Amino acid sequence: MFSRPKVSASSRLAKLRRALGAVRLPLHDPLAIIGLGIYAFFIVMAVFAPLIATHDPNEILFTSEFALAADLTPGTDGYILGTTTLGRDIFSQIVWGARSALLIGLTAAFMVALIGSIVGIVAGYFGGWVDMVLMRLADVAFGIPFLPFVIVLAAFLEPSIWNVVIAMALVLWRDTGRVIRSQTLTLRNRVYVEAARVSGSSDFKIILRHIAPNVLPLSFLYGSIAIGWAILTEASISFLGFGDPDSISWGYMLQDAFASQALSKGSYYWFVPPGFLIILIVSAGFFITRGYEQILFPKLDR
Amino acid sequence: MKLPSITTMFAAMLSYAVLTPAAAEEIRTINIVTRPQAAQPAEFQFTQLIAQEWRKLGLDVNVQVMPWEQMIQEIWFSRDKWDTTAWQMVGRPERSDPDEIVFNLFHSTTAAKGFNFIGYNNPEYDALVEAQRVALDPAVRRDLIRQAQTLLAEDQPNMMLAHPQSTYAFNNAVWDAATIVDQSGIGIRNTWTYLEMEPLGDVTDIILNSSDNVTAINPLYISGGTDSWITELVYDRLMRIGADGLPQPWAAESYEWIDDTTITVTLREGMMWHDGMPVTPEDVVFSFEAAGSGEAPMYGPFVGSIADMSIDGMDITFSLTEPSAPFLTASLSKINLIPMHIWEPVIAEQLTLETNAESFQEPAPIGSGPYRFGSWTLNEEVVLEANAEHWAAPKAGRWILRIVPNVEAALGMLRSGEINFLSDFPGDPTVVVAAAEEDPNLTAVFTVDIGFRYVAFNHRRPPFNDTAFRRALSASVDRRLIVGAAFRGFAVPSNSVVSPALGFWHNEETVEGMEAGVELAQQMLADAGYEVVDGRLNYPEGVSETLGE
Amino acid sequence: MKAITVICARLLQTAFVLLAVITILFFMFRLMPGSPLAAYIDPNFTPEQQATLMARFGLDQPLWKQYLIYLRNLLQGDLGESFFYRQSVAERVLALLPNTLILTFTSLIVAYIFGVLAGAYLAWKRGSVVEQICLPLVLTTRAMPEFWLGMLLLAVFSFSLGWFPAGGTREPGAEYGSIWALYASADFWRHMALPVLTLAIYSQGLPLLLMRSNMMDVMREDFVTMARIKGLSTFSVVIRHAARNALLPVMTSFAIAVGYQIQGNVVVETVFSWPGLGRELVRAVQTADYPLAQGAFLMIAVVVILMNLVADLLYAALDPRVTRD
Repeated sequence: MFSRPKVSASSRLAKLRRALGAVRLPLHDPLAIIGLGIYAFFIVMAVFAPLIATHDPNEILFTSEFALAADLTPGTDGYILGTTTLGRDIFSQIVWGARSALLIGLTAAFMVALIGSIVGIVAGYFGGWVDMVLMRLADVAFGIPFLPFVIVLAAFLEPSIWNVVIAMALVLWRDTGRVIRSQTLTLRNRVYVEAARVSGSSDFKIILRHIAPNVLPLSFLYGSIAIGWAILTEASISFLGFGDPDSISWGYMLQDAFASQALSKGSYYWFVPPGFLIILIVSAGFFITRGYEQILFPKLDR
Repeated sequence: MKLPSITTMFAAMLSYAVLTPAAAEEIRTINIVTRPQAAQPAEFQFTQLIAQEWRKLGLDVNVQVMPWEQMIQEIWFSRDKWDTTAWQMVGRPERSDPDEIVFNLFHSTTAAKGFNFIGYNNPEYDALVEAQRVALDPAVRRDLIRQAQTLLAEDQPNMMLAHPQSTYAFNNAVWDAATIVDQSGIGIRNTWTYLEMEPLGDVTDIILNSSDNVTAINPLYISGGTDSWITELVYDRLMRIGADGLPQPWAAESYEWIDDTTITVTLREGMMWHDGMPVTPEDVVFSFEAAGSGEAPMYGPFVGSIADMSIDGMDITFSLTEPSAPFLTASLSKINLIPMHIWEPVIAEQLTLETNAESFQEPAPIGSGPYRFGSWTLNEEVVLEANAEHWAAPKAGRWILRIVPNVEAALGMLRSGEINFLSDFPGDPTVVVAAAEEDPNLTAVFTVDIGFRYVAFNHRRPPFNDTAFRRALSASVDRRLIVGAAFRGFAVPSNSVVSPALGFWHNEETVEGMEAGVELAQQMLADAGYEVVDGRLNYPEGVSETLGE
Repeated sequence: MKAITVICARLLQTAFVLLAVITILFFMFRLMPGSPLAAYIDPNFTPEQQATLMARFGLDQPLWKQYLIYLRNLLQGDLGESFFYRQSVAERVLALLPNTLILTFTSLIVAYIFGVLAGAYLAWKRGSVVEQICLPLVLTTRAMPEFWLGMLLLAVFSFSLGWFPAGGTREPGAEYGSIWALYASADFWRHMALPVLTLAIYSQGLPLLLMRSNMMDVMREDFVTMARIKGLSTFSVVIRHAARNALLPVMTSFAIAVGYQIQGNVVVETVFSWPGLGRELVRAVQTADYPLAQGAFLMIAVVVILMNLVADLLYAALDPRVTRD
């Protein structure tokens, strides 16, 4: 096709190392490693879902001509985790659920981290009225109760998995924004930044070379918690009946289970696994942030 | 709002340009609408099953899920935009008379704005249902209604699916099972049960549940199913629908048809309002006038046939505008008797305001019914107390309704004794069966409902205006599949809007011998000229698709 | 910074936020697709009746005019009339608010008492096996869907063991003279136990970790070492010096936690059939009852915004180095 300049393997590796270093993955803490491992597990599950799942998660299954394969216990007829009351394979739904979980989680996390970081950096670096406007916006965001907001949004727009992402993008950048702003304020006053400004570097370049790399770990860490928020919120929304009817998610499975009396029937194989997986993936986010404890609770760092 | 991506739009334009005109005979993608699984699991399930079967006929079927409020917008208010949809009619005591259903659902006059939203137009049918309305001889009327059902079974304007069985249960250690009344088409959750159920021991309170809040306790406002349980107990009516589904005198001691359009009703003596005032014929006349005053828009239609009323002693004479066979059910069994001394000033005030009587909420509603109002704790419970002075005073002490939105909790409460009558259970009936088997104190009762579920065809959009096409689509699905896989066996197959619960009116011939199957449907389509080309069903020769997506 | 200036500034800020949220709320509902009258599927409503209803709810006016009317009504305490209940939204919302508040505050108090004590204990046990097990455990409690936890607690403690009732605030048919009589009764506390437990399990993580972290910081400080050198027992050092200093930021976080907690009410109230504002909001949104949904949301937002103000003032009062932005 077209020729590419030969790049040596070692310099590519060095670039990779530098990129990873900028993010500063907390690879020293055992809990954090567990967290990363859990994420990796779910990513594999999501990517290879079509191969891992035994059935189509939406397919209505029958045991004989008009007999629905309903409420079968794990192991019967080859259904690893049994079937739902409407005759669908639970194991396949769990596996495919990883896709929605990661899709919503990663998108929401990205939006929260991106918007929060941009707001924080711009407010902290430029100060003045830009700072004031952005911080007032953050105040308003802090005044909006999040779950009620998502509920209203879900009714306002069509029920869709993206409602959670949109709501988070509109509201939950607030914590990230404030903390990154603080960090930016501190960085801005550092000597080398002053030096760069004096020597005529453009603001954009300064932000890119000095501020952003130092702020990135915080963004990453807020992002990893945001994955958890997104998944928990989506589960609550589904439970209340505002979920996306076209996609299988763990929250949707739980709603289905409770509405079909899984508790009364003792179908623990139905309502425990989705809940357990949610706990696992959300905890993973918290484990990763163990190395940076101050992020876990919102101190009013203004 | 979902916008098509640039690539899909481009692909669509490309395919449109490339495909030859011959493909324009291909039937477009058919939409079938349903409510979400969370809200209506049975409906969601049968829609998927039906789509699956239709696809075997060569149709491209798309299942569209939308919440109820949106459905109303897209289907009820936009009558030419949808192809097919799942739908239901809810069973109510007043619907024990089939008039409301056979007339409103299919008569051509209700096609534009009323219940005939499918756009069915058959003059032969119109004539039948108009005739049954004025046929005062029950045998004659019955015959007409049976004919109407046969006609519908031939035409298949809708694809009738099933009459669900309602699920209720009660604690037989608290209540004497022999005194629980199973009302045909309604179940044990009915006013007669609340009047006749006898306590066996110390517990004399009927404690029942509802998953929905009580919106209002207002005799002039039809505010919801749960609310009607309460108004039926707090207020009397001239007639009541009996356990057999037929109207019987209640507040009226007797009635007599003077001629085709005149009926005289004699009010019972000694009736008292809950505040001690006597119930008079003037109150009765006022109740009907209030319903028709315009301040109670939901009740207006039920008194529409009344031209005039007059009083003579305890007799009230109604003059109707035309003969009306369902008058006893549609009007006399529906209008609540309300005290003039409380409501006259209210109506007078509402006439001057923009609001109407639906906005008026008495702090303690006064009626004359067998239960009197006790208390109302917002979103939590309503307590009614037995009215000992009533001629049909209940055997129970109090009637206590608990609002429990969590269906698992409702079942748990029945088991623990927190409630002793399960009156609202939208969950899985097999669980109630299991609970009753485990606990000898629990009795579960399943009753075939007057109501039904169906798939509606939109006659305004071809090919659904073609009777043969509708018949084939309807025949492609074995109703046993629906009953088994969507209702877990707790339903009976349906091919008529008149439920088997209405034994007198139901035409069993419509259901017996109903043949179904994909091969049969394919044959029917082929006979009508529809061909399968490259796996897709095409119109008969000479007909092409006019409604492309 | 003079205290009065700080307070005034914060009050002004709060008013601004309140106005912004009110405006956002208004436009969000009005721009919803679908007609609010869609729920009135009564075929007997003539076009004229529908027009009258539209006029009554002010839905035929231009949007900006509706907004001004809305603001004016709000100042008078009029939140409009519910589409379905046909009653004043303000009355309804205020009647339900106490039920939500008592659930929120009780569960937070329980969570904070537990969290503070457990956090101090874990700080004490720094580096031990206990800490290594408990810390991840605490993190997982914050990862549980609250409704899932609630349903499980319901199944175990109510259905199976029968220790607690399955819903509501009181026994069926029980009568209480006043709301205070209700709150004081054992009946009420029995009914509140499970919802409070559910909310508390979820919220205790925050005060626990905060307390632990602060304790560890404080214990490293010099004056603690000095006290130790002086011969004071470690226990007395911890209690009198470390704990007191660690506690203050925790109390500030309590105010903010109310704001976060109150949204947990939305699901917990549904699970436990608790007649509160969260459940009302859900129902109102489901039925497209705009004025009621708006009113319920607004009430919740007001609580959140007020508690943020309280937290701001507390923080400003406690930290003499507060930097003004």
